[in-house]
Amino acid sequence: MLIRDILEESAKKFADITAVKWLQKKEILERSYSGLMENVVIIRKGLFAEGFNKKHIALIGTSSVEWIESYLGVITGSTVAVPLDAGLPEEDLIDLINRSDSEALFLSPKNTSLLAGILASCPKLKKVWLLQDEEAGADDAKVASLAELKTSGKNSSTDSGKPSPEDITTIIYTSGTTGKSKGVMLTQNNLATNVESVNYTTEPGSILLSVLPIHHAFCLVMDWLKGFSLGTTICINDSLLHMVRNMGIFKPQVMLMVPMMIETIYKRLASADPAIPKKVLADNVFGGNLKIIFSGGAHLDPYYIDKFAEYGVDIFEGYGMSECSPVISSNTPEDHKAGSIGRPLSNAEVSFKDGEILVKGSSVMKGYYKMPEETAETLKDGWLHTGDKGYIDEDGFLFINGRVKNLIILSNGENISPEEIENKLALNPLVGEVIVTGEDNGLTARIYPDQDVIQVKGLDEEAVQTGIQAFLDQYNKNQPTYRQITGLVIRKNPFIRSSTKKIKRQEAMIDEALPTT
Amino acid sequence: MTQEMQFKKIVAQYCSVKPEDMTNDMRFREDLGLSSLDFMSFLGELEDTFDVELDEQDALKVITIGQALELLEELQ
Repeated sequence: MLIRDILEESAKKFADITAVKWLQKKEILERSYSGLMENVVIIRKGLFAEGFNKKHIALIGTSSVEWIESYLGVITGSTVAVPLDAGLPEEDLIDLINRSDSEALFLSPKNTSLLAGILASCPKLKKVWLLQDEEAGADDAKVASLAELKTSGKNSSTDSGKPSPEDITTIIYTSGTTGKSKGVMLTQNNLATNVESVNYTTEPGSILLSVLPIHHAFCLVMDWLKGFSLGTTICINDSLLHMVRNMGIFKPQVMLMVPMMIETIYKRLASADPAIPKKVLADNVFGGNLKIIFSGGAHLDPYYIDKFAEYGVDIFEGYGMSECSPVISSNTPEDHKAGSIGRPLSNAEVSFKDGEILVKGSSVMKGYYKMPEETAETLKDGWLHTGDKGYIDEDGFLFINGRVKNLIILSNGENISPEEIENKLALNPLVGEVIVTGEDNGLTARIYPDQDVIQVKGLDEEAVQTGIQAFLDQYNKNQPTYRQITGLVIRKNPFIRSSTKKIKRQEAMIDEALPTT
Repeated sequence: MTQEMQFKKIVAQYCSVKPEDMTNDMRFREDLGLSSLDFMSFLGELEDTFDVELDEQDALKVITIGQALELLEELQ
């Protein structure tokens, strides 16, 4: 099965229906399914005409119609898309462009400050297209605009052939427990069967507001690819500052969210004057038509399911990971159990080893790009080791009850590798030992200062605290909000270690003098 | 109601600290416990309530109540 087939079918069936709506200042602009498909084909032809065949092409930017049309232009042809998080520091983006062997880049005009650094440090990059309608007007011949690529496509009579179902179509980078992010390789069939297997349908033209980051598999596959397969009108939330305002503008019927969004909205609902009828309040906050929220990315406290039901909104929780394209199981309007993460999809087989959830099926990734060891650790005999512990109840619903790996899952769905951050913090001479923990929806650094450095420099407690906090403030400046350290605990004692001298992460909160032997 | 009190009432929706107990040096995330999304939602409410337009990048650099109040005054 191919994404291209799904998209071509939708362009025929829903030609005149609006596919995408977005805001430009205060004006709502829109693109029909036929208009979207026309642009996708032109971009695909443009890429082929400019010699990008079987090449990797990165995308940096937040949700926009230009971003999604370019992505679809890449994956419906013979090229591989590498969506990257525009919020990452420049050095990380450069590293990912290089490690993914990307030879071209689509870049949002909002991120042009990255351009000079990327051009200087990514030698394989042959072309950068700014996601804009105007010409780029850059001095560097490598830099053009989407408009110029589309002109190449319009002038070309040759289209790229269809990919095969087993071809890699998208590489999504995800936090790795070894401290280095891993490129999840997903095939056409991985994505297309995930779209097909999620048991949800709606009337063509139904309104969905997309509020998640587009480079995440959950948003990319379930908001966009699944939405397009159903003929949904997908509205773009231009900023998380304006999510509630945009719900009022677009009046969505369905939304995909991460638990942190649900928690934030609930705070607004719960703090309202109790004299305001719930229906009035719900219309005010949700825009008046919202009936369904699909929640994923992290576990949601079932408390919110009951509370949102009081406002006429049903929440259905699902479970997935980039490695599974991404959905593994989901509750649906017809079939759900609060507290569970739903039944496994029809294309996913689930089993357990020592309590860990293992998944096999047509949506399981091909592996991590150029990381054979990490791939072998995660994929064993076709079974993907999720790193989550869980069980299936007597009715066939899946539940999660713990984690095997060290990843911190924040309620905004971001997976944080503590080791990755610890390695960076350990570079400061004052930091002797450090463990990063996820607490209260943020990250806390627990640090045992280097006693030798303290002695040599003659620092008191306050100076140590101030010095480390200043270092953290500096670190935070270059990080996206979800990777910032918002808590600092200076330990009096070293961390407790195992017999193999590894720090016992589970006991990182205990700060007691070690017994002397 | 003063603008400052109106502002603090918006903040209070997202935390357990009462408006009258808030001081200008309190940090939104570390001291008041707002999540990153609570903070963004709060900024959106500021725009709607006080009819101002924030520059997102500048607004996200704000750390304390005092800094946010200053930013608001500058924009009015």
